[in-house]
Amino acid sequence: MSNRQSARPRHWVLAPVAAAAACALLAACSTSSASSASSGGTVTVGESTVLSGSIAELGQSGLQGVQLAVADLNAHGGLLGKKIKVVSADSQATPATGAANVKNMILQDHVVALFGPVSSAVAAAEEQLAGQYKVPIFFHTSNDISLMGSSFNPYAFQVVPNTDMEPRAAALYLDNEVKAGKIKTPIALGTFAPNYSFGQDSVAGFIQALKYYQVPYKLVSQQWPSLEATDISSNLSALLAAKPSVVYNAQFGGDLVTFVKQAAPFGFFKKTTMLSMLNTAELATLGSSAPAGSIAFDRAPWFAMNEPGVTSFATEYHAKYHQWPDTWAVLAYTSVQVWAYGVKHSGSFDATKVSAAIAGASIPTIRGTITIRACDHQAEIPEYVGTVAAAASPQTGFPLWAAGSGFTAPFSKIALSCAQMKAMQK
Amino acid sequence: MHAVILDVAGTLSAAANLFVVAAGLTLVFGAMRIINMAHGSFYMYGAFTVTTVLGVSAGWRFWVALLAGAAVAAVAGLTVEVTVIRRLYDAEHLTQLLATYAVLLIFADVGQRIWGSGYRAVTPPAVLASGISVAGVQVPRYELFVIGVGVLVGLALWVMLARTRFGWLLRAAVEDPESVATGGTNLARLRTGVFVLGAFLAGLGGSLTAPLQSIAPGMDASIIVSVFIVVTIGGLGSVAGAAIGALLIGLAQTLGAEFFASWAASLIYLIMIVVLAIRPWGLLGVPER
Repeated sequence: MSNRQSARPRHWVLAPVAAAAACALLAACSTSSASSASSGGTVTVGESTVLSGSIAELGQSGLQGVQLAVADLNAHGGLLGKKIKVVSADSQATPATGAANVKNMILQDHVVALFGPVSSAVAAAEEQLAGQYKVPIFFHTSNDISLMGSSFNPYAFQVVPNTDMEPRAAALYLDNEVKAGKIKTPIALGTFAPNYSFGQDSVAGFIQALKYYQVPYKLVSQQWPSLEATDISSNLSALLAAKPSVVYNAQFGGDLVTFVKQAAPFGFFKKTTMLSMLNTAELATLGSSAPAGSIAFDRAPWFAMNEPGVTSFATEYHAKYHQWPDTWAVLAYTSVQVWAYGVKHSGSFDATKVSAAIAGASIPTIRGTITIRACDHQAEIPEYVGTVAAAASPQTGFPLWAAGSGFTAPFSKIALSCAQMKAMQK
Repeated sequence: MHAVILDVAGTLSAAANLFVVAAGLTLVFGAMRIINMAHGSFYMYGAFTVTTVLGVSAGWRFWVALLAGAAVAAVAGLTVEVTVIRRLYDAEHLTQLLATYAVLLIFADVGQRIWGSGYRAVTPPAVLASGISVAGVQVPRYELFVIGVGVLVGLALWVMLARTRFGWLLRAAVEDPESVATGGTNLARLRTGVFVLGAFLAGLGGSLTAPLQSIAPGMDASIIVSVFIVVTIGGLGSVAGAAIGALLIGLAQTLGAEFFASWAASLIYLIMIVVLAIRPWGLLGVPER
């Protein structure tokens, strides 16, 4: 018996070693076949973004924008004679998952460009990898200011107004309403924001902007529900108990829809002015429950931008996906155009050359010509603010913005200076 | 006064929902000593079923949807008990945890295939959709409805446990499982019955709160944490304990959000730690033999 036992360990060790060797061989084969496909006329770009959960709509919308832009590029011969392929993965709004996805895309799919996630926390993780492996990354949804500030690298580009610009535009609109006598001061201010970098920075940006515009306010309640938290009832009752006259809500997607549906039966919208990111998708979901008169800020509302390129994009998008494009689709399409410009003007897919070609350039896009500021790779674009219409739009079947309520806060008024951004980058 | 009414309404409706779901979990653990991580999946399936039955419109179909959600969860519970749980009664708690966690993951994946990966929203029927004035403060009628259902479920469970044969056997199984087996009862059928009841309650909880939240993948994981805390505080196996635990957690969540907004998320865990330090088997629980 002891003889048999001593013989067994050898077989036991050999089998897994053989299996591991076989796996390694197969992996090596598949990697090399992918790279041969790359040089044969295709390049790959990747998007790791949230595709499940209550904010999935933002990720899906952005991905569709990227896919539409790539399809349009391929229809015109691709870039530098190569066709473009899009790979995508679900980040689940978790930085570790987003980072793992991006690493796979870089090392296995050999992506030549990355397009941004929704969550700024995921974006920070993906940005770090993009800088490390030298792949240009274009943010079209996540907009925390730290992405072009403290965690900036030369391969990262921001095609969205950031967490200073956006709340500043909202505060400017509010200031105009106060000066017009529509809102009483001092404002009893409540804030309701998802508890992560974007939510915190957005609220901080808004309060800072109120101080800057000298709008008298008193902070009565600050609520920080988790991102994608499905039950916010305790945060909501606490907010309501403080009786705010104005609420700055930094939620988005399904979270914002839930807030509106839960708050409405409390009579919230009759007593309180809310500023929030009620975009196309949220308005479509809410339909007749959309809070008329509520202030909405939007980074690229196709219906209020007065850009022929955006209008025809909206029609194309609607025909293909049977839904009206959200902000994220518009911005994602724009970000692909920015990348394509860099490739065409540098004549290469190389990250350093592409990035150098984009920085400081004025680039024609569906939303007009936009300039990418050289010091922080921030697109010099405005933020849009308006109030939700009472009646459904005949074009879409759900309320958009009240006619005449649209307000464009120009980049020059809301952005930080290059000196301020450079100070953050140190 | 305004704040107090809102706080009370918020606490009670949060507590009612937690209680309905926690009662199911505590009964399952009490009678069968099974820690079911997939309890949250039944909750989620209940909520998603409501969205399917309702489509976008509410109306009379809402009441059907409520029961359909609980029924679907019960069927899911039956499937899980017959295929997986039956083999785990004599296994270690760790094995039970791993197996039921696997069930949670499978249900989550299947759920995404059936209902997609985005979120859904439903509206309550018109009769419950608006607010009602309570001492000058507007409180949503639906919140009051949830509180009402929570109380009804509590009463029904109390009657069942005190007055029906099934309830007696369940209580016996909680207190003295050996005597139930030797007494000639069909233990397998009792256990299946308890597990299905637990799943039904979880599904009912999900259906009930469907109009109050966004229904999306991930709600299974988020509810199970709160429910575990409620059950742990209240004592495994005690429905009254689940009620007390739910009230405590509802209170902590509501007052926490109002007075300690940035610490609110940790407050419920702190309470659990304090209770476990003082009474490791929960407030109304029985020390494990």
